[in-house]
Amino acid sequence: MSESENRNKRRFWFWLSVLVNIGFLGVFKYYNFFAESFAAAALDLGVHVSPWTLKVILPVGISFYTFHGLSYVIDIYKNKIKAERNFIDYSFFVSFFPLLVAGPIERATHLLPQIKKERTFDYLKAADGLRQILWGFFKKAVIADQCSVYANMIFANSDHYPGSTLILGALFFTFQIYCDFSGYSDMALGIARLFGIELLRNFAFPYFSRDIAEFWRRWHISLSSWFRDYLYIPLGGSKGGIWMKIRNTIIIFLVSGFWHGANWTFIIWGLLNALFIMPSIIFNTNRNNLEIVAKGRSLPTIKEFFQMVLTFSLVVFAWIFFRANSLTHALSYIKRIFSRSTFSVPQMDVSGFEIMNTILLIIGFLIIEWNGRENQYAIATLGIFKKRSYRLAFYFTLILTIYLFMGREQQFIYFQF
Amino acid sequence: MAVSLLVLVIFIPNYLVDKESKFYIQHSSKIVLFGHSHPECAFNDTLISNFKNLSHSAESYFYTYQKIKKVLSQNPQIETVLIEYSNNQIDEKMNDWTWGYEYMSNMFPQYVSFMDKSDIDLLIDNNPKDLMNCMSISTRKNLIRLFTWNYDFSDGLGGYLRLNKVSKETNDAVSNKSANISSVNVEYLQKIIVYCHAQHKKVFLVRSPLHKKYEYLKNEKDFTRIRNEKFSDVDFLDFNKFPLNKEDFADYGHLNYSGSTKFSKWFNTMVNSGLLLNKNKQALIDKSLSDSISM
Repeated sequence: MSESENRNKRRFWFWLSVLVNIGFLGVFKYYNFFAESFAAAALDLGVHVSPWTLKVILPVGISFYTFHGLSYVIDIYKNKIKAERNFIDYSFFVSFFPLLVAGPIERATHLLPQIKKERTFDYLKAADGLRQILWGFFKKAVIADQCSVYANMIFANSDHYPGSTLILGALFFTFQIYCDFSGYSDMALGIARLFGIELLRNFAFPYFSRDIAEFWRRWHISLSSWFRDYLYIPLGGSKGGIWMKIRNTIIIFLVSGFWHGANWTFIIWGLLNALFIMPSIIFNTNRNNLEIVAKGRSLPTIKEFFQMVLTFSLVVFAWIFFRANSLTHALSYIKRIFSRSTFSVPQMDVSGFEIMNTILLIIGFLIIEWNGRENQYAIATLGIFKKRSYRLAFYFTLILTIYLFMGREQQFIYFQF
Repeated sequence: MAVSLLVLVIFIPNYLVDKESKFYIQHSSKIVLFGHSHPECAFNDTLISNFKNLSHSAESYFYTYQKIKKVLSQNPQIETVLIEYSNNQIDEKMNDWTWGYEYMSNMFPQYVSFMDKSDIDLLIDNNPKDLMNCMSISTRKNLIRLFTWNYDFSDGLGGYLRLNKVSKETNDAVSNKSANISSVNVEYLQKIIVYCHAQHKKVFLVRSPLHKKYEYLKNEKDFTRIRNEKFSDVDFLDFNKFPLNKEDFADYGHLNYSGSTKFSKWFNTMVNSGLLLNKNKQALIDKSLSDSISM
């Protein structure tokens, strides 16, 4: 494809490559979903169909490295890069271990040049990498895993808890998914930096966003930029007028939802986000908040604060669909939130002391994230102007907290993708 | 220095918990029972005078040993110790109950402060990875105890568990596969008995009533052999053949409330009639059971 001058031949190899990549992903991840959905739809029409489903294990991280590999093919087709002839360099690009199972979804234009360049050990970069690994590990092992215990408990028994508890459950999941995924990304970026490689930033403090458009510029950046460059823009992007913008936005979020999982809940989650972003698309305000909130200031304005609260609330609402087992579960969960039981005191089957511990941890975490929001990750420059002993004491506190909370075994939730 | 601080955070709470822990039970309890879920469901101690059931589900002898050391040392009024000795407790499944993560993560934090080096070494030898996780859990729980000044362990000691469900009998044949023995569990039972004797307590092994289709009865030969080889000096009170209907079982290994009520009332009568003082205890049990069957 890279060497051929014949446009038809290039197109042939390109589509063959795309179909093979998408084909593998489709078979492993989506075949059973379509087969069972088809059977369910047929049953609704009174036709009994026994779907033939595959009993295959989903390869860990397939959604990530499929898109990773596709970006290479697409960039060659578009003549952004030349095909890599060095098999070792190409293998390195495809299988660089920190980003294999949960991203970030790298681009060949970004990663391959770094692989080919000679790298020497850089102490400051290595220290920074270790710092980012530590912060990522803290987010994952402490915040995410603690929140997951309560989120799982509440979602598994949502029929038995009052609405106030279900709100807590949604909040716990909100922090679980952020800290799990961004924690993993921090570790991946930190490990890569130890090797002198800079990976694409994947999260930029999304929960401090002032609108949904800003949220999607800060959440899972590598995926949303992949969709923007390889799907949204080829579909016409924003050039064809408002209806094309709306259509393309819906398509992107639909596909994004579907990318996350073979379940209607993910699709509805995607469509909800499309709905939330639509006003800013229609009124052309989606590029309003490009810089981080309250840049150069300690506190946000009242307006910014309420914008963040509203955006955060919409995101939490959408996460309910993401987390629920089924659409029915999500709808009954939401129905219970909007019932009178929301005004009762939250009840859970764990001690109030443990819950308060977790809430205090989350508050402490948010304070650190807020203070570090202008950096690549929260503690990148924490205490840089203070004595070394203060910084070491802080790192020790993080390590101790990780040790104290590591005693629950949890899977990285994004490994299912 | 960081490593030293980390070590201090682990060991100081451990030491304080060991020193301050409270394992008090009612002063009237002269007879105590230890074991796993079989006696936990079988002996309703509200129906048995001067008796306290301290059995706990999924507790292997490794953890029972740690518990007994504290209970006996802090409750001098205890005269008699009953220890469940059932068929599944010689099975190698007990190894999983000792160092399998699912069980260790619950039991280890509770009792780590009372373990000695040989106990910890056993866990390190068999499951070092999960032991690290469990040490994290135990450090956290010990720190919580420290900050809340709560060293009362009496809530977590165990006790009678009421089961309301009724078993559904199946026609499945009892499995014929041979079982491997858990030498570790047998060894810790020996340690328990030695400790009780050292504290001058009367010790009896008991077997709670079991359904005839209970799968672990398949190892009855090994069960009897080990008892004869290792515990011949300890009286064994075998209640396995206590007459119960199928409606008295929650499942093949556990009595439900109906079954435990019948059994506990009978056991209370037997104890009050001097069962534990009688020279031929099993003969007395067998006679009482055959009398009740013929009635």
